[in-house]
Amino acid sequence: MDTIVLDHVLPRVFEGDSMGDSDVWRTRLTFSRGRNYVVEAPSGTGKSSLCAYIYGNRRDYLGSICFDGTDVSTLCPSRWQELRRTQLAYLPQELDLFPELTAMQNICLKNDLTGHMTHDAIRSMMRELGIADRADFPVGKMSIGQQQRVAIIRAICQPFSFLLIDEPVSHLDAANNRLAAAMIEQEAARQGAAVIATSVGNRIGISTDVELHL
Amino acid sequence: MLTHKLLRRLLYRNLSAAQLAGFVLSNLTGLAIVILGIQFFMDGRPIWADDDSFIRKDYLVVNKRISAANTLGACTVFTPAQIEELESEPWVRRVGRFTSADYRVYASVNASGRSMSTYMFLESIPTSFIDVAGSDWTFSASDKSVPIIISKDYLSLYNFGFASTVGMPALSESAIKSIPLTLSIRPDNGRPPLDMPAYIVGFSNRLNTILVPEEFMAWSNARYGSGSTPPPSRLIVDVNSPGDVRIKEYMEANDLEIAGDKSGSQASFLVNVIAGVALAVGALITCLSFFILLLSISLLMQKNRQKIHSLIMLGVELGSISGVYIRLVAGVNILAYILAVIAMLAMRMQYLPSLRGMGGGASTVWPSLLSGLMLMIVLIIFNVIAVNKKVRKAFLNS
Repeated sequence: MDTIVLDHVLPRVFEGDSMGDSDVWRTRLTFSRGRNYVVEAPSGTGKSSLCAYIYGNRRDYLGSICFDGTDVSTLCPSRWQELRRTQLAYLPQELDLFPELTAMQNICLKNDLTGHMTHDAIRSMMRELGIADRADFPVGKMSIGQQQRVAIIRAICQPFSFLLIDEPVSHLDAANNRLAAAMIEQEAARQGAAVIATSVGNRIGISTDVELHL
Repeated sequence: MLTHKLLRRLLYRNLSAAQLAGFVLSNLTGLAIVILGIQFFMDGRPIWADDDSFIRKDYLVVNKRISAANTLGACTVFTPAQIEELESEPWVRRVGRFTSADYRVYASVNASGRSMSTYMFLESIPTSFIDVAGSDWTFSASDKSVPIIISKDYLSLYNFGFASTVGMPALSESAIKSIPLTLSIRPDNGRPPLDMPAYIVGFSNRLNTILVPEEFMAWSNARYGSGSTPPPSRLIVDVNSPGDVRIKEYMEANDLEIAGDKSGSQASFLVNVIAGVALAVGALITCLSFFILLLSISLLMQKNRQKIHSLIMLGVELGSISGVYIRLVAGVNILAYILAVIAMLAMRMQYLPSLRGMGGGASTVWPSLLSGLMLMIVLIIFNVIAVNKKVRKAFLNS
């Protein structure tokens, strides 16, 4: 998948609002593979909604979204699930981890759907982010910062053309932010993928090709 | 493999063992009643189906009521229009006509040099109405030997009424069957008289008459009768249900009488009703157990809604998610079915000896097992549809 086009997309809740000079809403916006995007905006302007619209788990918007020219409203559930395994990676703000599973199990659950990485490679990534000693620890008993790092690793353990990361480093310190950003950039570059990151201020330290304001 | 294990671990969370046990128990009860009912019916079929057993098929012998009016010459025979009207009644399956011999006939016995003879009357009805017609119930003009079926009541009258009071020996059925008889036809149409060998081949519980095969009646009436076929004065009627009130109403309205006793038919009717009620109760319990399972699975999926949502967000195939629940549904249903089969076989061991004593016996178990299997498969299919629908709904709402 090479492009994602948003054609005059607007969350239904904003219908009737003027929206000022948004770079995203009520305009034609193209996300292209291989580039890094950062969507900067204050809370409540629809950053998470944007990710959810592209990922297909919310449909409460006006306008249309096309993947390589195909309107996503025509996609069937099995096609969506296939895209989620092979083209779209997503790190939601609420992380969506399974608290009763260990960090390793959470990551493997995703990774083993495609067998994208070896378990050794996963452990090495956990080492890089400083959570190797928590690999076999239930996620529910980990700190939010640690959980966020588990979720980042899980998000990139799959083939993807676009990586959607919704406020990915909101609970990380500057050092961990850099480590996470490096890992994400490296994997995105390896796959020739685009990264679409949202931020309310604590921005992920990846190089940015396009900065968008909602 | 690991993914499946993790999926099961996530999706079986909040599983209520008590609810599943409740389902297995209720489904087991329902299925066991259904398959036991069918098996019992199959095993007892020789009893229910045997015309000569205590549960007889539903035949009525009908004649016109004899009153002072028709003693003085009114009509006691049925016209073709009356028979047609009877045949068109909804409770009638089919009607057979009694045909009488249209000539005079004697029967004589020669035993140890002594000869006894008596006037006789002969009747015939279609063979399918006769309860004791065997392979020897045929007649051909070339071999000229006539099989006869008499009412069992005649034998009882002789044995218990006549023989015991005058000091004659009581006769068994087989003894009577071995006595050679001679039928002497004395026609009124000028033809020479004819003597024919005859023998008794059976005793009927249902028919209170002296029967000869239809072939013989047709042959002899054509040869020795007056030329016109006499209309029947008695009819045998195969009815759907002898307890039907419409039968009684019809008989009264048309001044007809039912000969004999219908207790056998009522027993048959009762067996059918009891079997029907048992199967209906079993099916109802199975049906209710289906709803218990459906509710349990729905509740489980509702409790695990967040996990299902998270798995869908990861890109897990919807089929893999529903598959976990479908395997659970199939597993408990198969368990209930196996337990029901074991319960049925155990109960069958209990009733078979008594049933054998009444003339029943071990019939094949496949029809009941297959019926149970079909019922179980239908339940599984409905649950599979419900689970798939719920997972799809979870995708759309994710």
